[in-house]
Amino acid sequence: MAEKLLEIKNLKQHFNVGKPNMVKAVDGISFDIYKGETLGLVGESGCGKSTTGRSIIRLYDATDGQVNYDGVNVHGKKSAKDLKAFNRKMQMIFQDPYASLNPRMTVADIIAEGIDIHGLVKTKKERMERVYELLETVGLNKEHANRYPHEFSGGQRQRIGIARALAVDPEFIIADEPISALDVSIQAQVVNLMKKLQREKGLTYLFIAHDLSMVKYISDRIGVMYFGKLVELAPANELYNNPIHPYTQSLLSAIPLPDPESERTRQRKAYDPAVHQYSDDEQLEMREVSPGHFVYCSEKEFKQYSVK
Amino acid sequence: MMQIPNDKFKVVGTHLSDTEKISKPSLSFWKDVFIRFRKNKLAVFGLILLAILIFMAIFGPYMTEYDYKMTDLTNKNQAPSAEHWFGTDDLGRDVFTRTWEGARISIFIGVAAALIDLFIGVAWGGIAGYKGGRTDELMMRGADILSGIPYLLLVILLMVVLGQSLGTMIIAMTITGWINMSRIVRGQVLMLKSQEYVLASKTLGASTSRIMSKHLIPNSMGPILVTMTLTVPSAIFTEAYLGFLGLGLTPPLASWGTMANDGLPALRYYPWRLFFPATFICLTIFAFNVVGDGLRDALDPRMRK
Repeated sequence: MAEKLLEIKNLKQHFNVGKPNMVKAVDGISFDIYKGETLGLVGESGCGKSTTGRSIIRLYDATDGQVNYDGVNVHGKKSAKDLKAFNRKMQMIFQDPYASLNPRMTVADIIAEGIDIHGLVKTKKERMERVYELLETVGLNKEHANRYPHEFSGGQRQRIGIARALAVDPEFIIADEPISALDVSIQAQVVNLMKKLQREKGLTYLFIAHDLSMVKYISDRIGVMYFGKLVELAPANELYNNPIHPYTQSLLSAIPLPDPESERTRQRKAYDPAVHQYSDDEQLEMREVSPGHFVYCSEKEFKQYSVK
Repeated sequence: MMQIPNDKFKVVGTHLSDTEKISKPSLSFWKDVFIRFRKNKLAVFGLILLAILIFMAIFGPYMTEYDYKMTDLTNKNQAPSAEHWFGTDDLGRDVFTRTWEGARISIFIGVAAALIDLFIGVAWGGIAGYKGGRTDELMMRGADILSGIPYLLLVILLMVVLGQSLGTMIIAMTITGWINMSRIVRGQVLMLKSQEYVLASKTLGASTSRIMSKHLIPNSMGPILVTMTLTVPSAIFTEAYLGFLGLGLTPPLASWGTMANDGLPALRYYPWRLFFPATFICLTIFAFNVVGDGLRDALDPRMRK
């Protein structure tokens, strides 16, 4: 496969460490992201998907573990110059298009924020030209530059957010549930725009979502998270056709189909963590069941799964 | 079914590139606020009243031939007349001139207090809210301790140590006045700092000062402005009651508070000496309050239609 762009090793993000209300939002996950791919991250609300994304981009200081981008650890001490270079490589698209744009700034100022911070242009004219270019890239037009966010619809705002991320020419974009706040008709528009940008600019995505059918559509590989742990990681088709971890099976059994015939017979599987019956001395880790298909399991389960 | 040939159809709809067009005229935030403010009749009245008061404070003292400290013992305690529009006081000074001279000082104290509150309060509250954790705890508890000292005691001490002057007066106003502003700014910053646009700015590599000046403070401007417009009348009022208690400015300087203080003993015989300064204190406080209320409503995004 292609070269590794991002290597996440045993990433841990705990909040309120040492207090009674300590939360292990992300508890030791490891995965790689390859250049040019889209890795989907799914899981139920509160399982740590967004926290993972935010830890990767340094919005939170990781409690433990490493995030290596192009072989360089993202966390840990860095000079201001290195940090700026890193900020340009990795960008983020946010969940709520109504909260992710500053209501007091014009669209031009919002999009140009990265340009201003990194001093990417010299003159005002260049700056505006770059803004117009970015607006066109995301399917908006020049006249929108001097307007304020509240004048736009959700889909338009989300595209402004995408333009802002693109302004610094990133290589890797973390999309934190970019479509979950949007209308279904607009979701496709935004996802297709993201796919188009990926083709044109060779972007790599970490796509965080809980809409399973949309994730399948956009992702090359999918990771399933449960309570701060990655439980299964496999190529998109493999995961959908051959889910191994009971939680993944449960998740997939919940996808509704627009077909009354099959809906009538669809069986919801409930996931009960007790089903594993792990004993204390068992080593739980990600094991490769078939090529590229990893499952979080014990040695005993691994043998069972491999037979299948 | 009847067949309709294609050439009978004509495209009349919008062009594809027009679908993203916004027909509403572009309104900046402040224009929008202004439109909503204008609908509030009382607030507009307050604003006009304020404009008149400020106009008179600037030009009023020049409208008469008298000076605010010029005494004329042959003409003391005159009733309002064509000669002396608001009458004269016990030293024969023209009350009209003194009223507007007092307006200058009262409004100056009010505005200065509000501005100093603004700078200290925004900086203090902004840092406390943004840093959070222990810094926040330390800074806000410090503010709590300061606001726990009885106010009048503090003012009297200040007057004793620094002497009665305009500067002392302003220090007295602001020494605890900024606490209110800092609490409001801190609350706003706490609420705003986890907003996604702030996170987006962080991921773009923005410095703390940029996040503060471009995102957090502009978005807290509404409550800050309202607090400021409500600080001005309370400072004017405080000045007036300190003046009334004899803790204010020393003569011949005139403020509304000291004029009312001077006028009180003569209330029975020469009521205008108390009436004019008292009326203008009321009018000014009223004007600032209604303007502040109107601004609060106009700035509240929930009121947007």
